[in-house]
Amino acid sequence: MRPSKMPSLLAFLVVLLMACAATAQHHQHGKPGAAPEAFTATPAFGPDGTLWLARATADRITVEKSTDLGKTFSEPVSVTPEPMNLDWGPDARVRIAADPKGGLIVTFAIFQDKNFNGRAFFSRSLDKGASFTPPRPITADTTSQRFETVAVDPSSGRVFAAWLDKRNGPKARATGKPYPGAALAYAWEDGDGAFGKTEIALDNTCECCRLGVAFAGPGRPAVVFRNIFPGSVRDHAVVTFKDPATPGPLRRVSTDDWKIEACPHHGPSIAIAPDGSYHVAWFTDAPSRKGLFYARADNGDVPFGAPRALSSPNRQPARPYLLSDGQALHLVWKEFDGNKSVVHWQLSRDSGRHWSDTRTVAETADASDHPLLVAHDGHAYLSWLTKNEGYRLIPLEDR
Amino acid sequence: MMSSRTPSMTIARLSALLALLLTVFAVGRAEAVEPQPFARGSWAELQARHAGQPTVVHLWGLTCAPCLTELPHWADLQRERSDLRLVLLAADPVPQPPVRVEEMLSRSGLDKLESWSFADRFNERLRYEIDPAWSGELPRTLLIDRDGTVTTLPGVADLGEVRAWLDRQRTH
Repeated sequence: MRPSKMPSLLAFLVVLLMACAATAQHHQHGKPGAAPEAFTATPAFGPDGTLWLARATADRITVEKSTDLGKTFSEPVSVTPEPMNLDWGPDARVRIAADPKGGLIVTFAIFQDKNFNGRAFFSRSLDKGASFTPPRPITADTTSQRFETVAVDPSSGRVFAAWLDKRNGPKARATGKPYPGAALAYAWEDGDGAFGKTEIALDNTCECCRLGVAFAGPGRPAVVFRNIFPGSVRDHAVVTFKDPATPGPLRRVSTDDWKIEACPHHGPSIAIAPDGSYHVAWFTDAPSRKGLFYARADNGDVPFGAPRALSSPNRQPARPYLLSDGQALHLVWKEFDGNKSVVHWQLSRDSGRHWSDTRTVAETADASDHPLLVAHDGHAYLSWLTKNEGYRLIPLEDR
Repeated sequence: MMSSRTPSMTIARLSALLALLLTVFAVGRAEAVEPQPFARGSWAELQARHAGQPTVVHLWGLTCAPCLTELPHWADLQRERSDLRLVLLAADPVPQPPVRVEEMLSRSGLDKLESWSFADRFNERLRYEIDPAWSGELPRTLLIDRDGTVTTLPGVADLGEVRAWLDRQRTH
């Protein structure tokens, strides 16, 4: 019995050894485990018509400029002196804003750890983009910040920053209370070099979607975000500040009743027209309302009107973006037609009451960033970074 | 119980060696079950591979916190139901390093299963091939019956529903 058992055991061991060697080799020669990379480009026009473009590429942030509406660009200037672990989330992006004096501010976030806790940074240029200050955190708290957004108050040139902040989560959980989501945090720039004290406007917002910011008046930013309503319903809301230090009440944009215990990674967009009307576009996947929608409100106090569907839900409508430019309101979004991603555009000249037919303004057959809108001197442009074509600034001509 | 000294020593040594090798083998195996890259056309390939067999495709993501909480429950169900043919597909909108996908599945007790991971940044296209109406939310579970009919469970799956579906596949 035993003599015959031994060789079979040995044979088994040999087979095992070979299997180990094979798997080890397979592993060694497998695909490289490349880290995900940020791929975004965000534009801002300076007061003199210079187009500034902030780009996140792999592990660095750069800014380049164009004085011929995006036909040619300067050599990129580095914002991040060292490689950084940039937030590559599908709704995260580098941000840039130009103040009325021509100064620039750039913001971005990094991942601090493998649990997607973020840290938001800002950098300033006061020499017309020739150089940028070393990035500094927007806030002292180190828990987690993501989806930072900056906007310049047109009346004063003061920079307002809003972001999603997780500082209140551990505090609540330490006392045994659940804390879904994150807080909507904000700070105003204090002089040219730093942000003032961080304040929390609201707790328990959805933690994974981009924010939208517009100004309702001097010192009165309006922030649109995906909120968490009771029952884990992740619908949209707007908070308009009464003054720079007083966030107003939460105003729900629409009752989609999208109940989801997950991160949609899909945030809204807002514009406020010169007549004070509010315009919001968003994505939802509620059972009764799926896809992209738009709604308007006459001002900051009244409820939003009925949502208007922008697209059929089986074309993956995504990433809506609104821009108010004088009497014109522009709205773009992305769809997928089975082969290509296309950017659709609608225009309203009566405060969003009526809209033009949908026109396709750009397309691409590979990966792409969100479509964005930017305007200068009465002309609006689509700003779009695509893998195949690179960066494009496309005039939205009212043909 | 031991008839002589020498053979028992040999067996003890062999067992120790075997145990050591098995450990190495187990580690090597856990590392080896890397997700297959899910690219354009992979959905058709995956479907063809399981054609005629009731199959559950669970879509999850490393960047989706509820997904990570849910994964161990799928491992439990896999242990409970030998008739569960489970395929895991990491559908992160930005492709993740295969080694991290593998680590997470290993930690959740799901490393021995067929596994795929999105490997193309053009995720619109990958999603469209699976379901044109899927806008990317995770988790998501597809119950594919013998004749290819798909029942979709969006969000964290009710495993009771999955069990009932498995029961129905048996009677057919």
